[in-house]
Amino acid sequence: MIVCIAVVGHQNNPLYIQSFTEADDALKLHHIVHCSLDVVDERVNNPKKSGPMINETFLGLLYPTENYKVYGYLTNTKVKFILVTTDLDVRDADVRNFFRRFHSAYLDAVSNPFHVPGKKITSKTFAERVSTIVKSVSFNTAG
Amino acid sequence: MANFLAQFLSIKNSCERVVIAVEDVSDLWPLVKKGFEERLPIRRATLNNKTRNPVYVDNLPAEFILTTDSRLRSRFPQEQLLFSFREPYATVVLVTCEDLDEFKTILKPRLKLIVQNDEREWFIVFVSRAPPHNDQASKMAKKVYAKLEVDFSSKKRERCCKLDMHGPEATFWEDLEFKITECIRNTLDRRIQFYEEEIRKLSEQRFKPVWSFCNFFILKESLAFMFEMAHLHEDSLREYDELELCYLETVNIAGKQRDFGGMDHGDDQAALLNPGKKPLTQIVQDDSFREFEFRQYLFACQAKLLFKLNRPFEVASRGYSFVISFSKALALHESILPFCIREVWIITSCLDLVNATAAHYSNGLVGPEIEKEYYRVRGELYSLCRAKFMRLAYLLGYGSAIERSPVNSASLSMLPWPKPATWPSVPSDASSEVLAKEKMILQATPRAKHFGIQRKPLPLEPTFLLREANRRRASLSAGNIFEMFDGRSNFMDGSTSPSPKLPPTSMSRTNSTPGNFESSIDRPMKLAEIFVAAEHALKKTISDNGLWTSFSSLQEFEKKYLELSKSAAENYHHSWWKRHGVVLDGEIAAVCFKHGEHDLAKKSYEKVCALYSGEGWEDLLADVLPDLAECQKILNDQAGYLSSCVRLLSLDKNLFLKKERESFQSEVVRLAHGDMDHPVPLDVSSLITFSGNSGPPLELCDGDPGNLSVTLWSGFPDDITLDSLSLTLTATSNADEGVKAIRSAGATVLNPGRNTITLSLPPQKTGSYVLGVLTGQIGHLRFRSHGYSRGGPAESDDLMSYEKPTRPILKVFKPRALVDLAAAVSSALLMNEPQWVGIIVKPINYSLKGAVLHIDTGPGLRIEESHAIEMEKYGLEDKNNASVVKEITKLTLTNGSIELPDWASNIESVLWVPVRAINEGLARGTSAGAVSSGRPSVVDGLRTVALKLEFGVSHNQKFDRTIAVHFTNPFHVSTRVADKCSDGTVLLQVILHSQVKASLTIHDAWLDLKDGFALAGQSNGRPTSAFFPLVVPSTSRAGILFTISPGTNDEAKAMNPDTILNIKYKISGDRNLGSHTPMFEDEATQMLTFKSALVLQRPVLEPCLAVGFLPLPSGGLRVGQLFTMKWRVERLKYLDEENNDEVLYEVNANSENWMIAGRKRGHAPLSTKQGSRIEISILCVPLAAGYVRPPQLELPDIGEGNISCNPAGPHLVCVSPPPLSSSFCIPIPA
Repeated sequence: MIVCIAVVGHQNNPLYIQSFTEADDALKLHHIVHCSLDVVDERVNNPKKSGPMINETFLGLLYPTENYKVYGYLTNTKVKFILVTTDLDVRDADVRNFFRRFHSAYLDAVSNPFHVPGKKITSKTFAERVSTIVKSVSFNTAG
Repeated sequence: MANFLAQFLSIKNSCERVVIAVEDVSDLWPLVKKGFEERLPIRRATLNNKTRNPVYVDNLPAEFILTTDSRLRSRFPQEQLLFSFREPYATVVLVTCEDLDEFKTILKPRLKLIVQNDEREWFIVFVSRAPPHNDQASKMAKKVYAKLEVDFSSKKRERCCKLDMHGPEATFWEDLEFKITECIRNTLDRRIQFYEEEIRKLSEQRFKPVWSFCNFFILKESLAFMFEMAHLHEDSLREYDELELCYLETVNIAGKQRDFGGMDHGDDQAALLNPGKKPLTQIVQDDSFREFEFRQYLFACQAKLLFKLNRPFEVASRGYSFVISFSKALALHESILPFCIREVWIITSCLDLVNATAAHYSNGLVGPEIEKEYYRVRGELYSLCRAKFMRLAYLLGYGSAIERSPVNSASLSMLPWPKPATWPSVPSDASSEVLAKEKMILQATPRAKHFGIQRKPLPLEPTFLLREANRRRASLSAGNIFEMFDGRSNFMDGSTSPSPKLPPTSMSRTNSTPGNFESSIDRPMKLAEIFVAAEHALKKTISDNGLWTSFSSLQEFEKKYLELSKSAAENYHHSWWKRHGVVLDGEIAAVCFKHGEHDLAKKSYEKVCALYSGEGWEDLLADVLPDLAECQKILNDQAGYLSSCVRLLSLDKNLFLKKERESFQSEVVRLAHGDMDHPVPLDVSSLITFSGNSGPPLELCDGDPGNLSVTLWSGFPDDITLDSLSLTLTATSNADEGVKAIRSAGATVLNPGRNTITLSLPPQKTGSYVLGVLTGQIGHLRFRSHGYSRGGPAESDDLMSYEKPTRPILKVFKPRALVDLAAAVSSALLMNEPQWVGIIVKPINYSLKGAVLHIDTGPGLRIEESHAIEMEKYGLEDKNNASVVKEITKLTLTNGSIELPDWASNIESVLWVPVRAINEGLARGTSAGAVSSGRPSVVDGLRTVALKLEFGVSHNQKFDRTIAVHFTNPFHVSTRVADKCSDGTVLLQVILHSQVKASLTIHDAWLDLKDGFALAGQSNGRPTSAFFPLVVPSTSRAGILFTISPGTNDEAKAMNPDTILNIKYKISGDRNLGSHTPMFEDEATQMLTFKSALVLQRPVLEPCLAVGFLPLPSGGLRVGQLFTMKWRVERLKYLDEENNDEVLYEVNANSENWMIAGRKRGHAPLSTKQGSRIEISILCVPLAAGYVRPPQLELPDIGEGNISCNPAGPHLVCVSPPPLSSSFCIPIPA
């Protein structure tokens, strides 16, 4: 299950963060997303390590913990998408596909002339679209 | 082959070094042993690795063993093959012989026998015992050695070397080392090949049922061990890696039920770095290697090699992934393993890894990138360990001591509970412990947040422990009890999923009371019971006393918790992952705070807050900032506390309740009005923002004050009173110009949201200005704001992007003409009559509202104060349409100044001031045709009016202007004798030149004659009345003839020294053009009188003196040429009154045209006799070419009428230009 999806600006400021848990524990997901920026920074600042990934927007698995996984995606404008999922058996291709769809939703949201670049995304349409994407995605390899 | 395992292990354990066999043929070993063993370990050896590439090995350990030694004897051939790693790698044959025959017959056949075994790598050391002085013996030895070489060495390989016991031979030892190395290398190559071949064969059979992992393991490990002995650690490591890979493939093949292991006492302590912790024989049963122990064993072998390779960072990183993957394996078998062994194992393995790597690691060993990565992994290990440690502590009931922070919640709430097959139950004798735990639960009070902030604490548990534990109860697990229990739990709270609405802390309380389960099969455990049960179970699991101590009490737990957090944070700080480190600092701070170390807590909290606010993570900031504020409050750090309050207020409004925000504000206000030791400045940029009003900037002329309206956005939840407020303006053009502050008077109350305040603005310098800084005071508190808002409330993420507004709020223009004052007419006005002087007041895009005009008339002019000053519009449109009656405003002059009416503030208007120019003198007429002009000078009629206009918002603008007004008489009078009658009567023509731009109507004119003249004909000296009224249009002339006769009576001699012409006239002119009718109240008295004195000449025939101009030289005049000008003065008649035999003369000449030498003025003797004459001459040089007026001779003492000019002098003379020469040459008179 995707528990959280976040858009983080190029100054590492949160632009959009939405959790999909029932419990009132969004703050811990904020924390996870925020800390995962460490990994994004590390990958971006150490191109040697990432190697052939250099021109790849999809950053892959950032955080292999026991209980959840964090995936990252970096747009050309250095906006990061962070995905936290509790599914432990996930195919990269599925995540990649999810990010691609999310990216296009994001593009539509920031192309809104009333959106101030670098400011939080407040569009309800965007929120609806994101939750639709999240609901439609299933990372289960069985499925 | 499986039965070889035990043997293999014992062989492996007994074997440590590369063995070099010594075949002591001639019993020499005791002699040379010392020298040989000194050479060990082999300092530098070149060996081939698995891929046949040369590898340099330093200090290769080796051991010399005699072939007769028991260790090398009695081995089975098969054993030798399989365990060949322990067989000698080289054989040294020690021989000596002093006799050639002996060599041939005895030694040689024996040696041949020894070396015939191909498997061995051998060489011969010939020891010469011949003393150096014995030539015979040494010769012999040489011969024998030569023979030996011929027999055993080949071209391909040198197999002999010679040791001279008495003559030390330096090259021998090198030779020996080289040969030993060569042998070892060759043997190693051969053995590698053998093992590889065997392994390959075995690998091919891998999927056959007969295949045995044990055999594979023995071969692989033998090879690895051989590499390790030869110090080829890299190769050895590769073998272990392959072995691990192979094991993981086989171990996961389904269908083969294996024993996992991990059930022994002490298994909870990781054996990650200790390969010998358990003998391998223990963990192998029927060709099945127990996963739990064997994987740890393999990792331990790898770690050992990595440490030998000096790569502790790799141990750490491999270790971390091993722990993660092994944890998964443990999770699969959790139900059969002891309670919580997974967690305990992870804790111990992480600690082992960090300790062992730290012991082997020193900074600077590797590049900075690897170093950072190393520290990151250590941080990860610590934080993994920390999470598991907290989990166990929670199970023991220390949950209330764990901070419910995002980081702890993230690591614990998604971590499932341990899943033992059955949850441990409470020992029967533990009721007192249960009571103690229950007491602890009741005593635990969640830490109340400062400012009375109420937040639902974040969860630390994935689901409710109470439910989870009871679900796995041993007593309930009989039969199909899970389904039954699930049904019951639905009954209990109506849902299968834990209700998120209830906070866990309150949950534990409500559920710790016995429920309504008394009647069911088994009463569910209470929370305290669960804790006690877990404690007992864990005590059984944990074999490490040190670790168990950490769980023994709350203090011990906190100590360990702090230690782990600190270590994790410290390591993260050394890595790339700064955020992880800082966040853990926050956890450390929470513990410090709890222990009253507020100072440390504050420092750490500050770091965390700086991190979150720097990147704009407000939700997280809102969680920590109150804690920081509380620390600051306790430490009495007023500045910090205030700034924290302000930061709390400036966070997103949705993050706090209104009540909470109000309490932040009340804290600020309380401190501001309280007694602060040191009034602190406070930055409220994020809270109070300001901007200019939308629309164009305020525009001011230079020197004008104004009112600046500014919008302030207050982020305070309530009204707030600002005791003072000032705002700086910064000039955009000129940075050097200091900023100027404008203040608002009095206190300002800001409402939440938008406020508009107006500040009065003193005059500013030219330029455009933007808003600078807002400063002010709340109580004793000086605040300051740099926050600019762009027409809306400051958004939360404005925190990061302060943009200086570029839009100017104020423009002060350069000094320019704001108004113009000018005279309305340029033509002359009537002298000595009341006249309107028009002053055009022309505002130039500037309002003259309230302007005051000071009028100061110069000498000879005064204002007719009896009349009001008039003001009217000035413009062309009125001229086109005369029917429009001009609006005229009457104004009165007070103290020399008048106030301009409001209607005239923006339009051009004209101000009519009644004045009278005064000239005491009488106008004088001139004689027509007279050469010298006696006309009155224009300057005489000039009067000035000094004007000073004060205007602007506060009369700050001044405008000074002096205007000149020209006054004149209506006529200029000239006279001429038109004719002379025989009776002496003269026709005097009086010519009137109109001087004004107005029509003059003469109604009457008469002469008051001077003595000696009398009017002829008429009685009253008037021309025929039928002439009148005579209209004289502007600037035209009119003439009047009078007949006068020189009279004889001298009666009124004293009364009439001059002849006066009197004219009564009317004037009709427009004041807009020039002279006009003077203002009178009464129309009837509009008749004006003009008087002018006339010069009447005596009759032309009776002059006293005649002045004649003598002719000029015939050659003409030339510039620069000297000539003499002569006049002849002749007395025609003697005048009694003159009574003088001299005449005063004066020569006047224009100095620009003439240079005159000689007396210009003087008395010339002239006899009183009639007819006497004199000549007056003067030297002249013309200076300018052209027609110029010649010098004139005047006789000042003699009246004009008594002089006759005959012949009259020329008006103009022609002066030729100078001759074309570069210098003036004056011809010398001949």
